[in-house]
Amino acid sequence: MRNWEEYVRSRLTLPDLAPEREARIVRELAAQLEDFYREALARGATEGEAEAHACAQVRDWDRFAQDVWLADRPNVRPRVARWSEQVEETAYRKGRRWGVIADLLQDTRYAIRQLLKSPGFTLVAVLTLALGIGANSAIFSVVNGVLLRPLPYPQADALVRVHEIVPHYGRFTVAPPNFFDWREQNTVFERIAMVSTGSATFTQGDVPERLSMAYVSWDVFDLLRVQPMLGRSFTPEEDTPGKSNVVVLSHGLWQRLFGGDRNVLGRSITLSGTPATVVGVMPADFYFPNRETELWSPIATPNDPTQRGAHYVIVFARMKPGVTVEQADAEMKTIAARLAAQYPDRNEGESAEVVALHEQTVGKIRPALLTLLGAVGLVVLIACGNVANLLLVRASARAKELAIRTALGAGRRRLIFQMLAESTVLGLAGGALGLLLAYAALQPIRTLGAASIPRVDDIAIDGGVLAFTAALSLLTGVVFGLAPAWQAQRANLNGVLKEGGRTSAAAGGRWVRNALVVAEVALSLILLVGASLLIRSFAKLTGVDPGFRAENVLSFRVALPNASYPDLARQAAFYESLVERLESLPQVTSAAAVQTLPMRGTYVLSTGIVGRPPLPPSQQPSINYRVVSRRYFETLGIPLLRGRAISERDTTSSPGVVLIDQAFVDAHFPGEEPLGRQLTIGNGTNRPYEIVGVVGDVRTDGFDALAAPTMYVPHTQDPFSSMWFLVRTTGDPAQLASAARQAVLELDRTLPAFSMAPLADVVSDTLAQRRFSTLLLGLFALMALFLAAVGLFGVLSFVVSQRIPEIGVRMALGASRGDLLRMVVGHGMRLALAGVVLGLVGALALARLVATMLFEVTPFDPASYAATAAVLLATAALACYVPARRALRVDPIIALRYE
Amino acid sequence: MFNAELKKGSTEMLILSLLEARPRHGYEIGKLIEQRSGGKLTFALPTLYPTLLRLENRGWIRGRWVEKPGERARCFYRLLPEGRRVLARQRETWKEYIAAVNQVMKPSRA
Repeated sequence: MRNWEEYVRSRLTLPDLAPEREARIVRELAAQLEDFYREALARGATEGEAEAHACAQVRDWDRFAQDVWLADRPNVRPRVARWSEQVEETAYRKGRRWGVIADLLQDTRYAIRQLLKSPGFTLVAVLTLALGIGANSAIFSVVNGVLLRPLPYPQADALVRVHEIVPHYGRFTVAPPNFFDWREQNTVFERIAMVSTGSATFTQGDVPERLSMAYVSWDVFDLLRVQPMLGRSFTPEEDTPGKSNVVVLSHGLWQRLFGGDRNVLGRSITLSGTPATVVGVMPADFYFPNRETELWSPIATPNDPTQRGAHYVIVFARMKPGVTVEQADAEMKTIAARLAAQYPDRNEGESAEVVALHEQTVGKIRPALLTLLGAVGLVVLIACGNVANLLLVRASARAKELAIRTALGAGRRRLIFQMLAESTVLGLAGGALGLLLAYAALQPIRTLGAASIPRVDDIAIDGGVLAFTAALSLLTGVVFGLAPAWQAQRANLNGVLKEGGRTSAAAGGRWVRNALVVAEVALSLILLVGASLLIRSFAKLTGVDPGFRAENVLSFRVALPNASYPDLARQAAFYESLVERLESLPQVTSAAAVQTLPMRGTYVLSTGIVGRPPLPPSQQPSINYRVVSRRYFETLGIPLLRGRAISERDTTSSPGVVLIDQAFVDAHFPGEEPLGRQLTIGNGTNRPYEIVGVVGDVRTDGFDALAAPTMYVPHTQDPFSSMWFLVRTTGDPAQLASAARQAVLELDRTLPAFSMAPLADVVSDTLAQRRFSTLLLGLFALMALFLAAVGLFGVLSFVVSQRIPEIGVRMALGASRGDLLRMVVGHGMRLALAGVVLGLVGALALARLVATMLFEVTPFDPASYAATAAVLLATAALACYVPARRALRVDPIIALRYE
Repeated sequence: MFNAELKKGSTEMLILSLLEARPRHGYEIGKLIEQRSGGKLTFALPTLYPTLLRLENRGWIRGRWVEKPGERARCFYRLLPEGRRVLARQRETWKEYIAAVNQVMKPSRA
């Protein structure tokens, strides 16, 4: 007789059906065909006829196979499972070493199946991890983009900034004659270049436009090792006065102004009334020294040794191969000391400092970013604690399964592997979802950080972030999987099976679960303390009186080209008439001009007091210098304390007058009458200025800096070629913008008003970095609080469900509701309290890390600690209450039957 | 004998009703249908077998290997509670349908 099973198997192909299912179908069909065969025999057919009869039952095997497959589709397995099985099989066949991989695959498949069996648990665990890992990926992508990735220039680690160090001030811009000496004398730099940023008015069509530009040494592009994509860079000859009317355009400007026309080379454009020839276009992603710069022109500064006091350029250099920043710094200090000895008049006490360009760019933000990274590290630890607890609870529910597997011969190592496989799968799933969360968070982070984070556009999810997330996911998987795995392998076989597999493992894991919750509470307390310290600092800062009223004031800038406003009188006249025109606008109460906005850059000059023994220039005090129009004080609400304000009589030709602030009086005229005294100011006008008034202090350097002595001179007596205008209105300053722009154009059709913004925004931007770190840290602390509360809730719920029989007994014996409530809530609050105490110790130890980010709040601020502990305990009480309520609803009869 | 559509629609009901009394194996089901219909209804293996699988996957019947003394092992299908409910419903519907059809086809006297 024919082997019917073989007959069916060779004809029926059922792809991707579970092997045991396929075997059953083949066996059953074979049995039926055999029935047909036997029936034919019984009817008296020959063997051959009987076989033919049976075979005739199915004529079209392909069609039949399709029908069977469709009918049995619920048993068709996913392709992935098939594939991993094949790999597994191959691995087993290959022998011992591959066996580990096969085990791993099998464990993983088993883990996925187990997780899918309890979707609720899996969902909670994955979401918790996604929150923790996502926060880490997001912050790491900031750290990666800002701190870790090299600057976008070839061999960027050799690029440095060279500062002058000026007594009383520290790092300072460089005076060109010193730069020339540095270039001459150093042996450590391959190239060294100076840069000065500015802007120029470009007119094309009707509307003039202000372009950001940089004046640079001719070889700055060689220094950066980036060449123009079109045309050439500058020649040494072009870096001399009178020959420097050439420009290199940024890619963006080239696109914007010339639509990417490659014939742009040699074209002439007019910048602030002066023609300049386009000689090159830089590549698309190039920027230097900042992203705003749209074109470059040779700086062409003459080496005038008498100008050693005029500090205004910034200096970049590329170190020779093999030279370290320390070596470069040492040599520059030696050279600076030599220059100080050589020119005691201007250079005395001056030094130099070399700082890696990367450090220069991002050094300031580093502590804040690292603090945030530490904070999200704590968040993910808390998430790990939560998931570990979930797994522990699950493990004790599965104690029986594990015991049976052990009884069937699963080794301890294999069981640990199995548990770790589950937690790793969870970790990776959480990581994948976390990455999506991080991706969604990037744009908000970029927006939030735009005003405060250097290189904010370099923040992205790249290979580094992916690798970090993958590593973190695996690590978290192992970290939160360890406790359950350890518990799984030490489960007592006998005990579990005897006790019906419920309580034994649970009892063993109790202290682990409690410890995890205590740790979670402690970690979240640390974060909350950090956040509340920052929040209190921020509140104190915003409460600081800056000394002026920025609300309802519009600010913008106007620059007068030398070509059309060659002399001081014409400049002064323009400013006067613009202020007048602005004041005539509806809703405007007053308007004024100043050369440097408060909190937006410094402008200091060395100053002497007439009648006191003269000091050498290098020892004269450097004082904040503001050149202002008449109604400046009124416009900004700065009070006049004594004497008089600037009046119409203070003109170019009248005697020089100056107003000083209270800080100046306190510093230099303690107990003396300053009114009527005279100052000599290093502004190049060579005339004395009589002090005619004293005004209130202004925090010129930001909310967190004390008011520095400041002096105010009428703009008519020292005009600047560009001024800021301030317009106070009774309405919304932003709505004044177009009227203000129009007012400028009415006076001069070629002049753009630029950098226009409400002054309140400008002031608020100075807090941007603090706002960034405070907001994020606060957010992470809230996440931590939430996760810790969930953890506490989870553990207590489990404890209550474990103790239902006990609660039943107690109720039956007459325990009151109060007793039970006390029992459950007491258990939770003991854990929370332990966590709070531990957390307070940890916070005290770690608080010093945020000390630099605080303002008028000590790292040990008792209020912050007390408030945080209170919030945490209150949250804990809430998390305890719900499980406690459940305990109260226990019906003693049902509870006792539970056993 | 009858057209394919008509047969197909009733296969499931026929199988369920045959399993109502006791579990049977696939070959037996096919033979019974043929016998009881006096040879007017025959279901070839390619029609019958996928239907069995489908009913099993719906949870209406369940197959189980049984070895009876002196016989080969066979897969016996048993009617599950859900299948029993479905059968009762289908029977009702069928009766109503037949009655309605008869009603319509009754030769009119007038």
